Amino acid sequence: MSSPAILVRDLKKSYGSKAAVNGVDLEVPRGSFFGFLGPNGAGKSTTIRILTGLIPADSGYIEILGMRLPEDEMEIKRRIGLVPDESLLFDRLTGAEFLEFVGRMYGLERGVAIERARDLLELLELQNDRKVIGEYSKGMRKRVAMAASLIHHPDLFLMDEPFEGVDAVGARLMKEILSGQVRRGATVFLTSHVLEVVERLCDRIAIINNGAIVTSGTIEELRAGGESLEDAFVRVLGAERQLERLDWL
Amino acid sequence: MIAALLRAQWLSMRLGSSRGSLLSLITGVIWYGFWCSVSYAVGEAVQGYSVSALRIGVPTGLLAVCLYWQVVPIISASLGSALDMRKLLVYPAPHGQLFLVEVLLRLTTGAEMVLVLLGGAIGLLQNADVGGWRGGPRILAGILIYLLFNLLLASGLRSLLERLLSYRHVREVVVFLMLAVVTVPRLLMVSGAGPKSLGGLEPLIGIAALPWAAAGRAVLDDAPAVSLLILVSWTVVAGWFGRWQFERNLRYDAMAAQATPLEAAPAPASSWSERFYRMPSLLLRDPLAILVEKELRSLARTPRFRMVFVMGFSFGLMVWLPFVLGAGRDRHDEFAENFLIVVCVYALTLLGQVTYWNSFGFDRSAIQIYFAAPQPIVLTLIGKNIASLVFVYLEVLVLTGLTWALRVGVGPAKVLEALFVVGICALYMLAFGNISSVHYPRALRPERVSQGGASSRFQALVFLLYPLALLPVFLAYMARYAFNSQAVFVVLLALAALLGGVLYRLGMESAVNAIGKYRERMLTDLSQGDAPVTSN
Repeated sequence: MSSPAILVRDLKKSYGSKAAVNGVDLEVPRGSFFGFLGPNGAGKSTTIRILTGLIPADSGYIEILGMRLPEDEMEIKRRIGLVPDESLLFDRLTGAEFLEFVGRMYGLERGVAIERARDLLELLELQNDRKVIGEYSKGMRKRVAMAASLIHHPDLFLMDEPFEGVDAVGARLMKEILSGQVRRGATVFLTSHVLEVVERLCDRIAIINNGAIVTSGTIEELRAGGESLEDAFVRVLGAERQLERLDWL
Repeated sequence: MIAALLRAQWLSMRLGSSRGSLLSLITGVIWYGFWCSVSYAVGEAVQGYSVSALRIGVPTGLLAVCLYWQVVPIISASLGSALDMRKLLVYPAPHGQLFLVEVLLRLTTGAEMVLVLLGGAIGLLQNADVGGWRGGPRILAGILIYLLFNLLLASGLRSLLERLLSYRHVREVVVFLMLAVVTVPRLLMVSGAGPKSLGGLEPLIGIAALPWAAAGRAVLDDAPAVSLLILVSWTVVAGWFGRWQFERNLRYDAMAAQATPLEAAPAPASSWSERFYRMPSLLLRDPLAILVEKELRSLARTPRFRMVFVMGFSFGLMVWLPFVLGAGRDRHDEFAENFLIVVCVYALTLLGQVTYWNSFGFDRSAIQIYFAAPQPIVLTLIGKNIASLVFVYLEVLVLTGLTWALRVGVGPAKVLEALFVVGICALYMLAFGNISSVHYPRALRPERVSQGGASSRFQALVFLLYPLALLPVFLAYMARYAFNSQAVFVVLLALAALLGGVLYRLGMESAVNAIGKYRERMLTDLSQGDAPVTSN
């Protein structure tokens, strides 16, 4: 039996006295489309940053694609495609130049990187012109970030709000691409606040709150009694409350 | 509104790291300590001079204050703090109040001059010949109005320059013209083609209708009412100019001015720029090749970098050329012989603020790609260092051509010497720069020409480091001069290179270790958004 794409045990990360991630346990099967949900400040982005090696964990066990982090950090990085919450784009490069840069940083031959960059720009409907990324719209920047995560054909995608700021057409395109990646056996691990997207794409989800996983499983398991994912999300977090009246509002 | 703005700024600054605060404190003490001593010296001098001497000295000093306040921010490419209008225009804040804050922020580029004026004012108050403490109201009025005049003028000039410098293909020309305006008079003076001394400034300080002359006359009790009236008039004009330029900036879209034309196709592979960018791939292997290529592309397209690059050869040449071309000067003296080396090293130091002192500044949050990619971070630093060296040697190339054209002691041996000396000095600079880039990273907006350098105080610290970094090479030159021996010079230069190599290696190890430890803090520092007021 193959190891899970992501296996995390008792992961902890604190900032001063505040625990951003407080004993997270997580298992993401290979080939799954996994949604990682939670309210703002729950610890989603911190978890993804730890999994990508951007920041170190205070403690815990992390295994990605059967390899230990941080011991096998370089090999893990080679097989991850990353779309972080903050921009990883160089503003003074064009889209094509940036994609070539990323491809070559991941070890692709120059010619291969240039060719794949051109293909990806076409696939994601980005123009191959002299315009630098600094002049791109938010949606275009997300598309380039998505293209960059694909260029080295990774086995695992770690994506923090990949659809944020993307228009409906672009989002649909990106979703199709990701679904295609899952069909070929890759794993997608994403965070999103758009629960409709998660409901439609993901087969498994985990919800994190206050730095700890409060529930995980298949979508069906979570939606008890046929409720929507949004209802289930609110129920699990215990976040239902009456709207307070403000006199001046 | 102003209170809310100041509070937001204070809260934003509060988030700065303690490292930054400590550095800021140290550089602040050094920098302002120096200017306090200048202020004290000015006060002492003014206190003891006779009225006749002060009639020349005070307007000249006030002219110097004005020049420093208005020109130094330009030539040091640090236009000081300013309101970030992208964040503030959404609020219904009266433009008058925003302008007021903007004017007060001009103190950030002229605080040194406030100290000098304060020293001068105290000196005048203690000088009985100009009225002493009895003349207090007149003296203080003159100084304060002159201060306001400078603030308003600096505000207008800043707005105007910020707009001009944001136009594509215009900024380099503007920089060159600005430098010419500053240095050509000096060039003419020392070359004998113009007035031979400060006596040539007489028309500037003698005409009572000029602001510094009017201020000088007012504080010296020389037709004070008329002089103050003239000064107030100038201040009103400066205020109108400042407000006019401020309003124009409010309606100005810098992003649109810098936008790439819609029809622009990618540059063909055969173009000279593409060949230049692809050069590292011919000489190096990936990932170093692509890292250097990325740096070359990014920096060459960064307005701030381009401006400093132009300054590197033009400003250096203009500053140092008078020392060689001066009337009656020997073109074969020690300085003229080493002119190329001096201007090349000067260019190396100038480029530091947009390259090696803060290597990750223009990358901002994109720095995380270096951490996420499966490559050791040491290669990223080496790639950035190589790219810096490419631009430094481009400066050397341009300067060699220019000095050759000017026939200033440039032979093949000197060119070779310049190449080696710049390389050795670069080792020291890069060693310090790598450490500084990791410990004090600062997010820079590449599209902002007026932002990107260090603050004047950080520059002061850097200037303190320069002598340290250049000392081994300087000693080699001193030894050549003292012993009149080329062999001694070569041996000492070789030793300096060896020491530089060791220092570079140690600096690199220290920087890489620090990245391992402080990666998260670097990410935070480089991802931070701006406060309502953007600094330098």
